Amino acid sequence: MGTRILAVEDDERIRTAVRFALEDEGWIVDEAENGEDALDQFTRAPADVVLIDIMLPGIDGFELCRSIRRTSDVPIVMVTARADTHDVVAGLEAGADDYLTKPFAPKELSARIRALLRRIRTSGPDTQTVRVGDLEIAPEQGMVKRAGEEVHLTKTEFRLLCELASSPGKVFSREHLLERVWGYGYFGDGRLVDVHVRRLRTKVETDPAHPRHVVTVRGMGYKLQP
Amino acid sequence: MSRWPTRPLRRLTRATSSLRLRARIITAFGLGGFLLSLLLAGSTYSLTRSVTLRQQEDASERQFFLNAQQVEQASRTADTDLLALLQSLPRLAGAQPIVNTDGGADDAWNAPSLESSDLPPDLIGATATSSGDAALRMRYDLDDSPWLAMGMRFPRSEFLYFERVPLSDLSSSLNSLAVILVAATVVTTGAGIALGVWLGGRVLRPLADISEAAQAIAGGRLETRLERVDDPDLAKLVNSFNGMASALQQRIERDARLASDVSHELRSPLMTLRASVDVLLSRRDELSGRSREALDLLAQDVDRFQQLVEDLLEISRVDAGAVDLSFDQINIADLVTLAIAQYSQDQAIALRVAQDAEDAVVVGDKRRLAQVIRNLLDNAEKYGEGATSVELLGDKAHIRLVIEDSGPGVPDEDKTRVFERFARGTAAAGARGSGAGAGLGLALVAEHVRLHDGDVWVEDRLDGQPGARFVVELPRRSTSELTEVGEEMAELEQDLTEELA
Repeated sequence: MGTRILAVEDDERIRTAVRFALEDEGWIVDEAENGEDALDQFTRAPADVVLIDIMLPGIDGFELCRSIRRTSDVPIVMVTARADTHDVVAGLEAGADDYLTKPFAPKELSARIRALLRRIRTSGPDTQTVRVGDLEIAPEQGMVKRAGEEVHLTKTEFRLLCELASSPGKVFSREHLLERVWGYGYFGDGRLVDVHVRRLRTKVETDPAHPRHVVTVRGMGYKLQP
Repeated sequence: MSRWPTRPLRRLTRATSSLRLRARIITAFGLGGFLLSLLLAGSTYSLTRSVTLRQQEDASERQFFLNAQQVEQASRTADTDLLALLQSLPRLAGAQPIVNTDGGADDAWNAPSLESSDLPPDLIGATATSSGDAALRMRYDLDDSPWLAMGMRFPRSEFLYFERVPLSDLSSSLNSLAVILVAATVVTTGAGIALGVWLGGRVLRPLADISEAAQAIAGGRLETRLERVDDPDLAKLVNSFNGMASALQQRIERDARLASDVSHELRSPLMTLRASVDVLLSRRDELSGRSREALDLLAQDVDRFQQLVEDLLEISRVDAGAVDLSFDQINIADLVTLAIAQYSQDQAIALRVAQDAEDAVVVGDKRRLAQVIRNLLDNAEKYGEGATSVELLGDKAHIRLVIEDSGPGVPDEDKTRVFERFARGTAAAGARGSGAGAGLGLALVAEHVRLHDGDVWVEDRLDGQPGARFVVELPRRSTSELTEVGEEMAELEQDLTEELA
């Protein structure tokens, strides 16, 4: 059975055109024209990937994203008409894994979806459990514990943490993390890394404002403090 | 901007140089103080002098009358000792008496100390011929001293009586008055100048504030306003300045917002176009020759349209000062190599890196810098038959990216104009700037380079071959600066975290 994409978009013409193009790329596409419809469909039959337009009538894209995140770690790609920091960061903060700016090439979307799905199907690079302070990271089991209690991470957050944990103490540049976690090249958007690091901190740090595990190395990148 | 009236501005520029205005205020106050105090001192001096003189003369004359009466009485009795009498007369302020007993005859002088030659001959003559019983007086100078001489003829006895009074005491006290007045004039003039300096500063401070605010606005900080003031004269100026700034800000923001809104609105139909064209392109082989050609045209122009919308949006962000630059330390050689690779996978354009530019680091937004390189390559492709060389040169302070092509080049009169928005070249420019794609590419290059504190220009090729040579100059960062930038980045990130929390 193929991979099912739930495309949430209120503009019928865009929805149809994008569905055609995605179907050409070999995906199975379900359509939803608003947030309520999307939530309804997702509850009945969870898709493998959700594509959400931010500007939706009723429940907006951010809210829909948060609602889905409450029950699922399905990869979410936000579609925005603005590449401005506010929309991008708010979308990522709401739980999106990646974003695209209208008008995007359907091939680019396919590449993004494949990158998101690929990292779900491969487990972490390291099979050994890593212990850092009160953190316990078990890539194989896809599990993270803080002070003995399991912490729930999305796949992207988990993958990011595993990448940092593959070599504790080593500084990883944004470019490196973008390539390893999102499959982007040199020109990927560093904000993806920054916001995911922040999201990760709210889950694995006791005091996210003063992180002790996932720390920023000024002008260089991030590292997992051993 | 041409809709703004230029006349009042010109009137304003005539009074611009604030230094000259300040100098004028100081001069006016200094000169005013000087003239006023000179006038006061002058009138004080002359008034004091005349009053004092008259007082002394009047006092001397009164005494002279009294003395004259005694001499007159004595003249009627023949045996009086005239010298003893003269010596016994009260003398006011050093007055010296002298008597002539025979109507002015040379041998008839009697005096304890005075000689007849000490008196002005004119006075002696006038007294001798006067009708008598009335005092004549005369001011004169002798041996560099001022004197007052008085004379009276007694008709019955043909006696002439004279007194001489020194006025030098008076002139010495008038001299010290003059010294005091000159000093006062100097002090007042100095005070006038000091007041002028102070007032000049005070008057010009609002002008300096306004000039500063105008500069800030011109520099893009459109929200700059002047502080309110209580002074009604200044308040008017401040209000109209702030009003102008608000109107300007609104207009610029409205323009920028319009461009931005239009671009965003265009994105949705473009999305449909983009996806639909892709669907058609994947079925290109199924189409007939004519439909295929039409589809290719459509696809190309959707690309062009999309690029134009992106550029328009980006430039409206620049205009609104809302570009989200994301600064990183960038190995410029890596960035250029990757940007070239991204631009053209098939035709390889080699990058030559000079030794000075190896491992050079710049601080910048790599996606914007990549766009700069892409747009320059694109420009070379469209108008210069493709880039013939891409070079990185460096010196201590700068990194230069040089892109050359073998096209017709850019004529001198268009060398600045090519960086303007939707630039159209002159007829001599040939294809460059006219026809397809004349858009925002080079304008965005200029804006982005500017946002990186850099410079961009076009010149003729150095080897004399036809073609354009575009040069982008970026500041090279030293290690210490990099640390600071790193800290800035960390602070920005901290701010963002707090904002989101």
